[in-house]
Amino acid sequence: MDAVLIIQSLISGIMMGMVYALLGVGFSLTWGVMHVIHISHAAFGLIGAYLSYSLLQYCGVDPVVSAAVSVPLLFITACGLYQLLIRPITRAQNIVMASMILTFGLAIILENIMALIWKADPRVLTPTYSSGALIAGPFYFQYPHLVGFGLSVLGITAIYLFLKKTYTGMAVRAAWQQPEAAQLYGVNLYRISMITFALAVSTAGAGGISLALLNSFEPHSHNLWLIYLFLVVIVGGVGNVIGTALAGLIIGVITGLSMAFLPFQWVNLVTFGLLMIFLIFRPHGLIKQEGM
Amino acid sequence: MLSVENITVCYGQMKALQGVSLEISQGDMVALIGANGSGKSTLMNVISGMIQAVSGEIIWEGRPLKGLSPDNICQAGIIQVPEGRKLFPGMTVEENIIMGAYHPNVRRQAPESLQKVFSTFPRLADRRRQFAGSLSGGEQQMVALGRALMAKPRLLMLDEPSLGLAPKAAAEIFMIIKELNKEGMTILLVSQEVLETLSITTYGYVLENGIMALKGPSRELRENPKVKTSYLGL
Ligand SMILES: Nc1ncnc2c1ncn2[C@@H]1O[C@H](COP(=O)(O)OP(=O)(O)OP(=O)(O)O)[C@@H](O)[C@H]1O
Ligand SMILES: [Mg+2]
Repeated sequence: MDAVLIIQSLISGIMMGMVYALLGVGFSLTWGVMHVIHISHAAFGLIGAYLSYSLLQYCGVDPVVSAAVSVPLLFITACGLYQLLIRPITRAQNIVMASMILTFGLAIILENIMALIWKADPRVLTPTYSSGALIAGPFYFQYPHLVGFGLSVLGITAIYLFLKKTYTGMAVRAAWQQPEAAQLYGVNLYRISMITFALAVSTAGAGGISLALLNSFEPHSHNLWLIYLFLVVIVGGVGNVIGTALAGLIIGVITGLSMAFLPFQWVNLVTFGLLMIFLIFRPHGLIKQEGM
Repeated sequence: MLSVENITVCYGQMKALQGVSLEISQGDMVALIGANGSGKSTLMNVISGMIQAVSGEIIWEGRPLKGLSPDNICQAGIIQVPEGRKLFPGMTVEENIIMGAYHPNVRRQAPESLQKVFSTFPRLADRRRQFAGSLSGGEQQMVALGRALMAKPRLLMLDEPSLGLAPKAAAEIFMIIKELNKEGMTILLVSQEVLETLSITTYGYVLENGIMALKGPSRELRENPKVKTSYLGL
């Protein structure tokens, strides 16, 4: 095997993995903190991607700049959605099931709306620098990939610092680890759930933009993304930011390498096969500690 | 300061508290005693707003607490150290303590409060970066107390603070509680260590199967024949 090809696909795997991680962290937080398995999470990522696409196509706004608009926009939208849809089901007997059914429906609605607005054809983000590439010795990195990677690193770092350094972020962790004590010390669980949900949806938007810089996308792409989200969260441990980031990287590298060296049909088989083996040995995921 | 009036609480069909009343005045340390399952924790949780009463009223500093959520009640100055400590297991000792100052009213004083907690519990200062789950039982109880002190309680409710602790650690916790009360803090203390509890409190209540069976000055309760046989094993 070719060493250059191995390293090149390793690096693309890491880039891809970071994006999975950014998409996965929010999914994992809503799951951990709220016991809501948010099936439309990736669909919101896709909305972020399409917003960037339109802003680039019609207004010439760079995806990184438009992220600064669409991420807050998604945050506000998600706050409304929480009040309207999610909060009422938190009283359900089985929140996990109720939330899955509800957000599955939401995902289908969002997919159809996207198909109506943006049509079913695959799209690519083509910013001004899309044909450029960084060439370092035998290695070759397309600029959009580097930007997508940078955006996802930025997103993950921001989430990490928010959870670690701010009172609201600490309350999110507290509400997930020990909701009763959190309430006794002044945490309003509804408010924290709303913030968690909105944070997750808006970072999904950022993740969607990152992913759109690396891959083409179409209205039903979120279904495949969602499968990767489950992978990342199960491997990384529910609610665990560092575990999710690590899991994203590992899964990215595995898919990166298998895409380079295996026939296309084998990629998912290898990825999911390895996942099953992993779960047999570590049923709790990478990190058992309920840390971060 | 706090008066609980005729509270009834049900878990489904079962009545956990039935017409329970209790009074605490400013600066008091009051004992709440009862066998397992008599409703002690339930009463604390009703006061904290974690459980809704079916009937009855709780008046705090002249105002009813009805309809307030736990975070509002925390803001009002009633702070509970729950049974079993309920620390945040994935947070460090320092983070656990700081979470006590989550409430906007007390957040600004957090740095000074933290210093004060660490000077009260020097052992925690050495372990500030450790996960709370990795501490000994006595140290965990100190974290729980430290977290509560950060919230600047005007009424501190302690639910079995010495549960599962070795005698030495339990004695240390009781010392600290006594000290806090001496400094003027109002305290409601639930504990299985009845003799110890009745000797540091001024007034006591005895719950039996959800009914307030006895009340009186702690000194008198200690001499009460029923208390002696049921709770002091004499
Ligand atoms: N969440 C709940 N759901 C149903 N029943 C409950 C619940 N919590 C407590 N109970 C019941 O209510 C009664 C009072 O419980 P509570 O925990 O208040 O007692 P306690 O005096 O604190 O006991 P212990 O000394 O064991 O802590 C018990 O019979 C208990 O089984
Ligand atoms: Mg109890």
